[in-house]
Amino acid sequence: MIPILLQGHTRPLTQVKYNAGGDLLMTVSKDKEASLWYTYNGERIGTFVGHLGALWTIDCNKSSTLVVTGAADNTARLWHAETGRMLHTWELPTAVKRVEFSHDDRYVLMVTEERMGHKSGIYVFAIDSSSPEQSNEPVVILRPSPVKATVAAWSYLDKYIVAGHEDGGLTLYDWKYETVVHHTQAHEGTITDMQMWKDGTYFITSSKDKTARLFETKTLNPLKMYKGDTGINSAAMTPTQELVILGGGQAASEVTTTSSRQGKFESRFYHKVFEDEVGSVRGHFGPINTIAVSPDGKGFASGSEDGYVRLHHFDPDYFKFKYDY
Amino acid sequence: MNNTASWADELDESQIPEAQVIENQDGTKTVIEYRIVDGKKVKLTRRIKEKIVQEHVNRAVAERKKWAKFGAEKGTAPGPNIASTTLAEQVSLRLSQFAAQKQQKEEEVKEEAVGPAKNTRILCRVCRGDHFTAKCPYKDTLVPMEGIINQEANAAAVPAASESKDANAYVPPHMRGKTGGTLLGESREKRDEFPTIRITNLSEDVREQDIRDLCKPFGYVHRAFVAIDRVTGDCKGYAFVSFIEYSAAEKAIDKLSGFGYDSLILKAEWANSSGR
Repeated sequence: MIPILLQGHTRPLTQVKYNAGGDLLMTVSKDKEASLWYTYNGERIGTFVGHLGALWTIDCNKSSTLVVTGAADNTARLWHAETGRMLHTWELPTAVKRVEFSHDDRYVLMVTEERMGHKSGIYVFAIDSSSPEQSNEPVVILRPSPVKATVAAWSYLDKYIVAGHEDGGLTLYDWKYETVVHHTQAHEGTITDMQMWKDGTYFITSSKDKTARLFETKTLNPLKMYKGDTGINSAAMTPTQELVILGGGQAASEVTTTSSRQGKFESRFYHKVFEDEVGSVRGHFGPINTIAVSPDGKGFASGSEDGYVRLHHFDPDYFKFKYDY
Repeated sequence: MNNTASWADELDESQIPEAQVIENQDGTKTVIEYRIVDGKKVKLTRRIKEKIVQEHVNRAVAERKKWAKFGAEKGTAPGPNIASTTLAEQVSLRLSQFAAQKQQKEEEVKEEAVGPAKNTRILCRVCRGDHFTAKCPYKDTLVPMEGIINQEANAAAVPAASESKDANAYVPPHMRGKTGGTLLGESREKRDEFPTIRITNLSEDVREQDIRDLCKPFGYVHRAFVAIDRVTGDCKGYAFVSFIEYSAAEKAIDKLSGFGYDSLILKAEWANSSGR
């Protein structure tokens, strides 16, 4: 497998994401531009220029016409994917750490940071895809408690919003009624990433407590747990094979304070059901911050603290792998 | 020829002919190229068959492939820009059920390679596990192993060192008889106890069975050894025969000395160590 190295960013990557068709890859990093790439050859289509701070998150709608980004300049912006034109700017009280379109593309959720006396919030804005004008008035603001939310995702049928907290808790919100349906202490450390299965019925979370776990959305029941040996920054599920991919590694600032084993900057593959590690892909020379799997299951991308995105297309061997049980 | 040009450029440009493309009748193409590999001119002939593969993609995906570039990539040529897109080195992804165990083993090997100075293994004195003695779960129930070994060493004359070592550890030849097993040194001594004769001036074709047949009439042959050349496989011309009885050996010397065998006249005498 020969990965394509995408060197479009000059600072650590914060999120990589495929579009629904799997032909586009969006990447954001702590430099101020988001990039859009073709996945089949790694060609960069363009950059979204306009943010004034580090970008934290990106998402696009199902038809890949609109892109929304969230940044540390306390704004979220809406872009026209084809031309890179900025359509709208939402002003928020603090930095936007996570954005995600709802499954029906009518809403977008934004998770904001807790800072300068402002509480963390999950803002839901309505998206009008027929015009560039967007409402600045949120439909709903959820206030995560007791501690701030770091990630959030839409459940099946956009019925709920699941939020992951800094203390490792998970909350299931019936967002239209602004009520908490379930709250559970899922992890012992900060939840770093949350990725829904395509139908939204279960999801995977990764955490600084060196584990990634699978939860059922409706009840927040833990289903599976995958143990790594460093903090895990991102976890993704592969659609065709029953695998999960975890990315992490020791941050440079922690190397001297933790175990003597260095690095572990690998994408690690675990069997989704049996929780065993089945393989790994090396390449990065910094901790992996974000991992995304192509919706067709034919490849995955990883973005790292080293500023590189590695775009992998699986070898035929990958599809032949069978777990013997 | 431009004299100011570097000789390296001259070599590159003047000696490589243009690539030729020949259309063959069966629809294939022959491409003849010239390259310089390691300073040598190489002719590269390739026969190419072009095959058009139709790929079905989503209409939206096909539309998106036509997008014009924007932002930082605005105005650049279509296709991947080498400034931002490069191919990385090949990496392998071998999915295997036992990947975790394999990796652990690799790491252990690596740690060992670092050297014994860094690799301070923790060894429990009670149960030989990899934890501190103080934390051993069998601390109270088991007597420390070293104590047991010492006791054994005192009680019996068996050396404790060889006992605690692996069964297949190297033991010098002179120590081998003392730990049990096959007693090589002893057997050699025993062998010499039998009356042995040396027969010389044997022909090249002699084998052990011939010697046994030859000596059988004198008495029971305990052992017959024919010196064989390792390279040619022929007899080196002498043999040793051990009899059980002294009288049989004496008789053999008497009869075989001067006996004609394979057109040669044998000589038989006492082998050195049993020299009488």
